[in-house]
Amino acid sequence: MRVPVSRSTELSRLLAGVAGLVLAACRAAPPPADAAGAATRVVSLSPAFTELLFAIGAGDRVVGRTQWGDTPPAALAVPSVGDGLAPNVEAVLARNPDLVVFYASGANAAARERLETLHVPTLTLPMDRLDDVPEAARRLGRATGTFARADSLATAFARAVDSARAAIPAGSRPRALILAWEEPPIVIGGGSFQNELLTLAGAENVFGDLLQPSGQVTLETIAARDPDVVILLDAAGMPAWAERPEWQVVRAVRERRFVPVTGSVFARPTLRALDAVRVLERRLAGSER
Amino acid sequence: MNRWVALVALAVVALAAGIAVGPAAIDPATVLRALAGIGDHTTIAIVRDLRVPRALLAFLVGGSLAVTGAVLQALVRNPLADPYLLGLSGGAGLGAVSAIALGIGGAWGVPLAAAIGALAAIALVYRLAVVADAVLDTRVLLLAGVVVGSFAAALVGAILVLSPSEGLRSALLWLLGGFDGASWSALAIFAAYAVLPLALLYRESRMLDLLSLGEEPARFLGADVEPLKRRLYLAASLLTAAAVAVSGIIGFVGLVVPHAIRVLWGSRHGALLPAAFLLGGALLAAADAVARTAFAPLSLPVGVVTAIVGVPVFAVLVRRWAT
Repeated sequence: MRVPVSRSTELSRLLAGVAGLVLAACRAAPPPADAAGAATRVVSLSPAFTELLFAIGAGDRVVGRTQWGDTPPAALAVPSVGDGLAPNVEAVLARNPDLVVFYASGANAAARERLETLHVPTLTLPMDRLDDVPEAARRLGRATGTFARADSLATAFARAVDSARAAIPAGSRPRALILAWEEPPIVIGGGSFQNELLTLAGAENVFGDLLQPSGQVTLETIAARDPDVVILLDAAGMPAWAERPEWQVVRAVRERRFVPVTGSVFARPTLRALDAVRVLERRLAGSER
Repeated sequence: MNRWVALVALAVVALAAGIAVGPAAIDPATVLRALAGIGDHTTIAIVRDLRVPRALLAFLVGGSLAVTGAVLQALVRNPLADPYLLGLSGGAGLGAVSAIALGIGGAWGVPLAAAIGALAAIALVYRLAVVADAVLDTRVLLLAGVVVGSFAAALVGAILVLSPSEGLRSALLWLLGGFDGASWSALAIFAAYAVLPLALLYRESRMLDLLSLGEEPARFLGADVEPLKRRLYLAASLLTAAAVAVSGIIGFVGLVVPHAIRVLWGSRHGALLPAAFLLGGALLAAADAVARTAFAPLSLPVGVVTAIVGVPVFAVLVRRWAT
């Protein structure tokens, strides 16, 4: 999941990305990792890749994960190398990997560059949308010699997503706000994975017009867009801020129409994403009395 | 006299703008009707329960920060002094981030923790700066403020890296400052709280004139310097801590507004303090209106707007003053 980050963090990531591009242009490109075939010591620098590697039957080849990589439970037996964005290169190297899988982000450019100069093969994959999942599964399968299984899972997943998209009911849809943080109010926008889940669940994001994955807005905008329900990311039960007077201006808060969603399936794209859609569908139906 | 009329008019215009404009496009006639309680429920609620308390709170906080900045600049005799200089921003940040990292929630969890952090920083800085014979050394006060602030900021950095809570990055956004938590109750609490320190600081305006000459001259001219410094410091700091609790940390207003008034108006505190209050309030109320509206539906941190609008104006003022 892309969590809302401070502007200075975004800026430093951008700078790191630019610096990485400049450095990359100065050196010869290393061989692409997924051409080689069978990596046996993989460090996975995103929880979504860790989960995918286990799903395609390459779990026994994973020798390093991030501190957030807790799915499936078997992954917890793999040593953590810390953070997956701008990772600690020394901790990654200490796992003696023959493949390091990076999430495509400017924050990772410097670490990737450093590993490549040390002749450690790397693979960089985007993982922001549902459509990234099958492609990532196939490329990880090719890199770890588990392509056949990865390909069949990827094909089944892509087909399931297509039929879920085709099955979205026409007509009036519940209008939902996905709230990531309350002060300042940060909402999930149209450029996010959660927006895709919401759409597949038959609802409409009131901030679907935001191109960003998330953005800071004012209470007034939320009140004016008047969502039917408020989806709370990683919250259990009734949020404390719902008691605050200024939030009573929002009808869905006044009527306590909250849909809390927890767990990694709502936080990142995985093969289980359609389970998350079904959960969301059920809860949205439950919140409409 | 004309200058006062202009300043009051500016303040009224800024407040009116804060109520008239917002991301929900409501035309002025509808805003007026909503103020009178006529219209649909959501529009009335947006105008009466969001915009009016928010504009008033921005005005009060802006005024308080400007007054505090003016007082601290005279107290430590340093033009770079601002309300957060004396360790307050660091203490507030540490309080807010600790509350989120420890999972201390509640409707008012973060703002209260920030105010407590700010008060702890004030107490520590004060303790460090009181040297032999209960003398408050303003040079030590300045240094103590800076080191306590740096220490708290370092702890914030460590917590941000080590804590697993994903909300922490958003806590930093809260610290950038803004009025998203504005409500009638927040306004009432802050107003009730701010009256006393503001009145106390205004009552000392004559003494502040003496103090800006230096402690020795002030003493010769009959000021009881030590208790005066303590009163000024505590009133200014407590006022800032309350501002932090309702709006986070909003830079620039407290630093620049007092200087702007000095350039335009002279540095007699009897006029400087009320003028700074009006200009600081007008600036922050107007900046908040711009922050909410300019890039709607996205909103900018208000401190970004105060600096982008205020710095060029201030630069021109300083040039005119210097030549």
